[in-house]
Amino acid sequence: MKRALLILLLPVFGYAQNAGEKVFAQSCATGYCHGARGTPAGAPRLAGRGFDQTYITNTVLRGLPGTAMPAFGGQLSRADLIAVITYVANLNGIANPVISLGPGSPGASSPAEPSLSTDAERGRALFFDALRGFARCSTCHEVNGVGIPVATPISQIPANPGALRALATREVHTATLDGESMPALIVSQTKMQALFYDLTSVPPVLRSVDPGAFKIADGSSWRHDSVIGSYNDAELASILVFLREAAKP
Amino acid sequence: MRFLLVLALAAACAQAQTPDEGATRSDWPDYGGTQLSWRYSALDQINTTNVKSLVPVWQFQTGDYAENLQATPIVIDGVLYIITPRIQVFALDAASGRLLWHYKYPTPRPGKPGGMTFLQNRGVAVADGKVIFGTTDNFLVALNAKTGAEEWKVSVDDPRQCGCDITAAPLIVKDKVIVGGTGGDAAHRGYLTAFYTKNGRFAWRWYVIPGPGEKGHETWKGDSWKLGGGAPWMTGSYDPDLNLVYWGTGNAGGDFNDEARLPEGAKGKEANLYTASVVALDADTGKMRWYHQEIPDDLWDFDSAYECVLIDRPINGQMRKLLVHMNKSGVTFVLDRVTGEFIGAFSMPEVQTWISGITEDGKLVGRVEPQAGKVVNTCPSAAGAKSWNSMAYSPRTGYVYAPINEVCNDLRSESDQPVEGRFHANGGFTFKLPPDRKTYSHIDAWDPVTRKRIWSVPYRYILLASMLATAGDLVFTGDPEGEFFALDAQTGARLWSYQTGAGHRGSAVSYSVNGRQYIATPTGWQQAITGAQLAPLFPEQNWRTGSTLIVFALPEAK
Repeated sequence: MKRALLILLLPVFGYAQNAGEKVFAQSCATGYCHGARGTPAGAPRLAGRGFDQTYITNTVLRGLPGTAMPAFGGQLSRADLIAVITYVANLNGIANPVISLGPGSPGASSPAEPSLSTDAERGRALFFDALRGFARCSTCHEVNGVGIPVATPISQIPANPGALRALATREVHTATLDGESMPALIVSQTKMQALFYDLTSVPPVLRSVDPGAFKIADGSSWRHDSVIGSYNDAELASILVFLREAAKP
Repeated sequence: MRFLLVLALAAACAQAQTPDEGATRSDWPDYGGTQLSWRYSALDQINTTNVKSLVPVWQFQTGDYAENLQATPIVIDGVLYIITPRIQVFALDAASGRLLWHYKYPTPRPGKPGGMTFLQNRGVAVADGKVIFGTTDNFLVALNAKTGAEEWKVSVDDPRQCGCDITAAPLIVKDKVIVGGTGGDAAHRGYLTAFYTKNGRFAWRWYVIPGPGEKGHETWKGDSWKLGGGAPWMTGSYDPDLNLVYWGTGNAGGDFNDEARLPEGAKGKEANLYTASVVALDADTGKMRWYHQEIPDDLWDFDSAYECVLIDRPINGQMRKLLVHMNKSGVTFVLDRVTGEFIGAFSMPEVQTWISGITEDGKLVGRVEPQAGKVVNTCPSAAGAKSWNSMAYSPRTGYVYAPINEVCNDLRSESDQPVEGRFHANGGFTFKLPPDRKTYSHIDAWDPVTRKRIWSVPYRYILLASMLATAGDLVFTGDPEGEFFALDAQTGARLWSYQTGAGHRGSAVSYSVNGRQYIATPTGWQQAITGAQLAPLFPEQNWRTGSTLIVFALPEAK
């Protein structure tokens, strides 16, 4: 029985360590940061430093403010976080670390990578397609932590590409500044400052102006259709599938 | 006929530079001094005779010790602008150091883990009443130069996706501001982007790697072009007569192994265009006019992303518009900047094993390439004979001045799948000191036309700060031990030195206010990246970081 258990456990341990080493190699031992297997490089040595488990977990999740060490909580998947924390703990002589990402820890709030259907995966790639430059959806929309949140989070997903093109954008106004009219998404307006996105061209420009020199009128000639022209209907349909699946809790 | 000849001569004369067109005077308006990138000041109040009397007159502590202070200060009309790694911008009275305004960027969104975002900033650009700079989360921001209030802000790319950010000072050309980003060793397709200075609106983008149907696309294997690297991550130069901007591009991603990116039969030819190149772009449209690839199939992480020094010098009795450019290999190329024609090359490091030489037409011979499954030692290292820290040029001597490191590395060549936005080097490097040497760097003066070394001053450790040349026939730079010093531009003799208390990794400038000449240097050794990677070679040393601007002048007459 004992022997059987050992056989069962070994491959699991082997996997965790390999996974940790792999995550470490990809996310930590990048030529300009830590060295392979925790050796010193651009960033300090991590092996054999006598770090305790809490310190390792917290540093990986929250980073070290004021240094180049980023917070990986919420950035790596939960499985990858556990693997890499285990790996660094092993490098510090902690053989069987007990890792708690804990409720409320940055790792715990990490959005789980939803598993997507083939069509949604295609839609995701299109949504973030860097080859389209600024003509991609993520120039103005953030989904699952990636993309620039110019627009408010996507809450209602249009039924089809036609509806996506014809999307009513009542929040876009017409601003007049120094005699020039432009489509504008107002962020805030106080007596001191008007803050708005100038939508004249992509990418949108966040502009801060003297409210006295700035006039706003309802309505705009701006159309969502005019900024999604790099996609055809089939591509837009896949993007909508992606958005629907990504929105699932 | 004779009239035509006179006209032609007049046109030729009008096009040539006046002797110090690239010199700065009371201001230090651009990253490279002027946009010809000489890092040379025409001020000569401080000179070889009196430099020994130079004293500190004010200093400014930024309080931002996240990293060192790498930025080149910009000085316009008596106001000095400096930026720190965590994007704090300070406007100071350039004569007294008095704070005029302070801007602090809100906490940026973190970049992609394992990406190529850096906590560094090399300077602001100032023009049109605005102070413009890039951020660690890839925004370009414009402040009001008088008040420090934000005027506009635009996202150049999403660091959560591209794993890239902006560390270079932007270049303002006419009505546009042009900026590159990091990601040369990452799975990312590099580019330069231009925005209108007035309102931040997009003007043009030039991709280093041509897309399908564009010339040069055929130099990439399969889909490798999509994430091929090549980011132009430093600051370019501009020739107003030709209306061309010049930029160096990074090496292709997947640095140390070319299997996935090199098309069949491309070995030994130009490859992976337009990475590892110098390019000339039309300043108005971003269209490429010419290119010169320095290291076809760069397998050493030698990045050609650095300063383009634009000088006019006679060659065989004829005045030529030249471009001088060094990549991390230390090989320095001299090109005709009108056409891109190769004129000559010379190599500044003394230990060079990665090639056996360069032919008269600029071809590299005897390449020693990394090999999968083996460790191959080559010199110079991936840290560079010289990296982003700039050389300087003096029109009075006709020499370029550069700090050169003599460090080698063991290269490992592996084969990794590129993941968008992640570091992608296909291997790595371990720095090694070359055997049988007692000094590991030197400051050199070279004549770029005769390609002769005029003088060389050895230094025991490494040098990673930029050079400043002045009309007082002085060359200033600093070392990691904290000494900031002046050399005689003609002979290399050390004329003055001052212990600033922290190592040097930034770029000194000169300017004047009310007739008094100042020399300003950022101080603070680098904690991460190259500085920290090289420091362990000298374990007995403890080079100190910091973030202080120190300003020197001659004592005022009593």
